[in-house]
This record gives sequence, structure tokens and C-alpha cells, in this order.
Amino acid sequence: MEFLLENILNLVGFLVGLSIGIVSAIGFRNTGSPTLFRLAIAFFSISIGFFVIWAGYMIEDFVIQSGSVERWIQTLGIAIQTVGYFFIAFSHSIKSLFPKSKYFRSVGMVPLFLVSSVQIEHIFRSVSFILLAYGAIETILSYFENRNKGAISVATGLSLLALGEFVGWYSFVFPESILYVASMVIKIGGLIALFIPVSKVPLTKIKFDDNFD
Amino acid sequence: MAEYRTHMKIIGDILSTTRDDLQDEDGATVTYLIRKANISHSRISRILKTLVSQGLLEKVDSQGSNKYKISQTGREFLQAYKTFSGFATNFGLTI
Repeated sequence: MEFLLENILNLVGFLVGLSIGIVSAIGFRNTGSPTLFRLAIAFFSISIGFFVIWAGYMIEDFVIQSGSVERWIQTLGIAIQTVGYFFIAFSHSIKSLFPKSKYFRSVGMVPLFLVSSVQIEHIFRSVSFILLAYGAIETILSYFENRNKGAISVATGLSLLALGEFVGWYSFVFPESILYVASMVIKIGGLIALFIPVSKVPLTKIKFDDNFD
Repeated sequence: MAEYRTHMKIIGDILSTTRDDLQDEDGATVTYLIRKANISHSRISRILKTLVSQGLLEKVDSQGSNKYKISQTGREFLQAYKTFSGFATNFGLTI
């Protein structure tokens, strides 16, 4: 069950990330907007991150057959995803990983104290959670400014991904519980919510001009 | 409170004016565009020069004064700008 869900999650993550990355890249190509360039990097990173983990599971299942995926592959995939989440947060004008406000600095450091000091994967998950929560809050705030319904879907998607990361991290505390499965289901829901507004972009109407810089 | 506009948004406003809100068929004068786009003469001059050199606007000599009309490339750019502006807004961002 976990193996199947893990594969579905990673495949959906790969495809959704790739789709949004391609739309952003087309947007950057047509408009030259740096915002779309950052979004393209963000979602290509997320896509590659999911692909690395999926490929790791496939290689383990069909080639190595050791029974468990190599830890470093999982860590590498999550690290690449974290880079993507950073660029989403960065697009919302995040100035640095450690904000100057004393309150935010303290909140930002909490997960680093909570996680195991030896497993880098936990640190990446914590950082991902912070970046995703930041992106979700900024997106929902933008909804109150312009009332764009697509922003609700994206904010929901980012919130579910953040919640999925949090629940996934918590499953390390209770390894045999349903929490890990729940985290994957939540993340799949988040990825689908992210994709909904992107699927409505009318790309067929865009005419490409190779001579335009 | 005044709304902050990105460089891209200003270009979008200028192109929209030259497409949808022209004074006459010859095009829009610089003065008209300054009023519609709400930016200074020096800044709009630089932007118009760039837009003409990129082929997004056409400069027309009309009765001794320069007027600006949107080109076909400009129309395509404006369409792309509006599409991807909506896309970025979904993420709470402006392009």
C-alpha cells in the first residue's frame, strides 16, 4: 500500500511539476518576465525531485531488490524539491532564509531543534514545510487583494503540501502508524489542487515568435 | 494608496492603450500615452524607443507629430502578457 502510494505521489508530483514548469517556461519565453523564470526553476526542481525518488523506487524494485530504497536517494530527491519550494517562496520576495524579525527567526528555527541531528532529510523536510507555509500564506493574502479564484486553489495546494510534509515528518515519531500514508494522500491532493488553475491556461492561443528577445 | 506597477505592467498598459483606446486611426501621441499610462515623459520616451526597436509598436509620422500604433507582434505579446499575468496571479505573483 505504502509502496503504491509512494509511486503515485512521486509520479503525480513529477507530472504536475513538469506541467507547471513548462507553462512557466513558455510564459518566460514569451514575456521575458523574471517572475515566470523563477517559477519555471521552482517547478522544474520540484519535478526533478519527485522523479529522482520515483526512479530510486523503480530501480530498487526492479533491479536491486534489497527491500528498501537507498536513504541518500530519498534525501537527494527531497533536497531538490526543497530548492523548488525555496524559489516559490523567493518569488514572494523572501529576502533570506532567516528573516530579520525576531519572531520569525525564532519560529523558523523551531523545526531544526525538533528534528534528529543526524538525518539531513529531516532538515530538508522542515525547511520545505516553512517555505511551503510561507508561500501558502502569501498566496492567500494575494487572494484578498485581487479576488482571483485560482489563488485559492494554489494556496490550498501549497497548504496541503506543507501539511503533508509536517504529517510525514511526524510519522518518523510514530513509524508504524497511518500517518505516513495520510501524508502521501494529503500531498497528492495538494499537487492536484496546484494543477487545477494551471490546466485552465489557454496555451493554444499563444503564438510563438522566435525573433523576439 | 498608489499601486506599485512593475516595468512589465507599464508596458502592458501602454500596449493596451495603443490597441484598445486610440484617439484616432493614426495612433496615439506621446502626450496621450503619458496621460493613459500615468508615467513621466522621460520614462515613457525610453520605453517607447525600446518597444519600437523590438517591433511591438510602430512609429507613425502623422501631420508633423509622432504617433504610435501597436504592431502584430505587439498584439501577440499583449495576448501572451495577459495570459501569463493571469497565470502568475494564481500563484499570488505579478509578472
